[in-house]
Amino acid sequence: MGLADFVVRRILLMIPTLIGVTILIFAVTQLFTPEQRATLYVTNEKQMNNIPLLIEQYHLNESIFVQYSNYVQQLLQGNLGFSQTSRAPVLQTILRKIPATFEVVMMSIPIIIFLGIFLGVVSAVHRDRPIDHVTRTAAIIGTSLPSFWLGIILIAVFFSGLGWFLPERASSWAQNYIDLSHNWTTYTGLYTVDGLLNGKPDITLDVLRHMVMPTIVLVTIQIALIIRVMRSSMLEALGKGYITAAKAKGLTNTEVINKHARRNALIPTITVAGLLTAGMLTGVVITETVFNIDGLGRWAVRAAGGGGIVPDIPAVLGFALLSGIIYVVSNLIVDILYAVVDPRIRLG
Amino acid sequence: MSTKERSRFSDFRAGIAPAMSDFRFTLRKIRKSPLSIVGIIIVAIYVGMAIFAPWIAPPAVGTRDPSMIWNDGYALPPKPPGSPVIINEGARNAGYTSHIFGTTQMQYDIFYGCIWGVRTAFRIGVLVIAIALIIGILLGSVSGFYGGVIDELMMRFTDIVLAFPGLILAMALVIALPIVWKIDVGYLLVVLLLFVGPLIIGHFLKIRGLWTFLIGVAGVVAFVALQTFLLGTTIWTWSLELGQLDKVLIALTLVGWPGYTRVIRGEILRIKGEDYIEASKAVGCSDLRVITKHIVPNSIYPVVIMASLDIGSMVLTAAALSFLGIGSPEGYADWGQMISLARNWMVLQYWYVFIIPGIFIFVFVLGWNLLGDAFRDILDPTLRRK
Repeated sequence: MGLADFVVRRILLMIPTLIGVTILIFAVTQLFTPEQRATLYVTNEKQMNNIPLLIEQYHLNESIFVQYSNYVQQLLQGNLGFSQTSRAPVLQTILRKIPATFEVVMMSIPIIIFLGIFLGVVSAVHRDRPIDHVTRTAAIIGTSLPSFWLGIILIAVFFSGLGWFLPERASSWAQNYIDLSHNWTTYTGLYTVDGLLNGKPDITLDVLRHMVMPTIVLVTIQIALIIRVMRSSMLEALGKGYITAAKAKGLTNTEVINKHARRNALIPTITVAGLLTAGMLTGVVITETVFNIDGLGRWAVRAAGGGGIVPDIPAVLGFALLSGIIYVVSNLIVDILYAVVDPRIRLG
Repeated sequence: MSTKERSRFSDFRAGIAPAMSDFRFTLRKIRKSPLSIVGIIIVAIYVGMAIFAPWIAPPAVGTRDPSMIWNDGYALPPKPPGSPVIINEGARNAGYTSHIFGTTQMQYDIFYGCIWGVRTAFRIGVLVIAIALIIGILLGSVSGFYGGVIDELMMRFTDIVLAFPGLILAMALVIALPIVWKIDVGYLLVVLLLFVGPLIIGHFLKIRGLWTFLIGVAGVVAFVALQTFLLGTTIWTWSLELGQLDKVLIALTLVGWPGYTRVIRGEILRIKGEDYIEASKAVGCSDLRVITKHIVPNSIYPVVIMASLDIGSMVLTAAALSFLGIGSPEGYADWGQMISLARNWMVLQYWYVFIIPGIFIFVFVLGWNLLGDAFRDILDPTLRRK
């Protein structure tokens, strides 16, 4: 089986899972009353006063099969309902809030991967030496830290105490400029990139300063996973026959580690990148709430009642659906990467 | 002891010999790893705190629910450790002269909340893991033993639940679960009878398990269809009132079971090919007997241990939900909820408001993770006995 066949087969296999994801979210909607469910079909604010009409129109009192087919039709048209929290349709809100979330995630992921791989390799090469113990202990401490607690401590020390780093997405002067100035053009929605493109590097710097604390939290919580997997697969690789062979040929230790052991040890590490996505989705929910960043996570938490507003069902379910889809697609990418790197997967 | 009894005893000894050698191996590994000993000590201290909570931090006199933290008035700003208890007579009568760890927003006593929070943590952790594990063992053993279509369906279903990050799905479920839950117990009983009945009857009539299983499924599908499309009546309804914490427990359980189902299934697939399973089938044991007497006892040991070590991470997720304001109600002795009260006081001057409850969560989770790390090495078959 060639790589193309593998990719096609894997994409086809993803479809049932995606359908399953919609079925599960639909099953959750069945726990609500028809009146609450109707908000999932609303497209603009005026309709919020016309709930009985919607129940009639979408057959929300009828059998689950009729309801499910209506639900899927709505999804395919891109209608995820109307969010009372953001006073806008859910899909529109998601598109507007994604850049803030994406920015922080994209900042953290490279640090997690490169630093995690580095520490994992160091730990394995110096197995049972002090550096190994320090790395492993630090990793366990990292996974045990409640992310929201770490966030609060960072705010107390670095914002309230020292004033080095700031919460929220941007300082008010920068936010005002972005929101109000006619000279500001939104190219990507990422303030860091747009700042440079608009010739305002001071905004980019300001936003970066605001991203330091959330990045620290995300990295601390997630890096242990990579360290652990990298360490154990590196240990396994170092015990293989080809390492002994390479050493016997007279290669130096560094060459053996860099060219032979680490490359092979990287393969299993790719598989946990999918778990990293799940961790990131959970992580942004918490960091955005702690640091008051106007992204997807904070919106979903407010919608769920974390801010005192009534449960905003379309927003929470829309966010859950989006996370499910992101997770499934990222697992697809991981599988394909895995097959590209390791021919045994697609040929086996 | 008669000869027969003695031989039975030695049979028993021989029967548990592999398990005992496993156990001794485990103990030796634990003794050699200082971190896991620290983990055991931490968990033991927390167990002690949970048991002795009423003596360490007696509830205020006249309190109805000891899980609610007593407060001293309703002033907003927290007070530092050692501040005197002024207003709350009940607390004074229970022997509190000062707030040992200070008070948080709305004057809830931090010491009381932290100590009783241990009970909340264990209740969440143990209940959720236990129920999720039972579901996992039931579904996983059926899935692994029969394989084929049943296995395929079950695994696709776990795929779907696992396609969501746990915290986010739990969040959606918590808001979706109604406060008053009408459960049609009669309906559930009929479904259970229709499913289990054929299995039990088949067990005595020595019919192949797959057939009885399919008959059971067919019966359940027929009944559900009949109820949904034709009758639509309730049989025997119970009304349950769900507190916010109950909702969190249910949501976390619903999110937690698929992982265990998969692990158990994997273990069973590994064991299914072993000679002693073939042998017990060859001597004519029924499916039910093979599963309950041979497969489950041999596959369950690592999974139960791994699951119980998840208590730490489960408590962390529950604390995150509480912090986000979706978990336990305000004033409940729950660490996450106490830290959520600290959100207006993120200044070093008020360190006690967030540092103290946070340390309780952190050390709790750390203890379980230290144990878990040691056991991961111990249970890893590739590292075993080298």
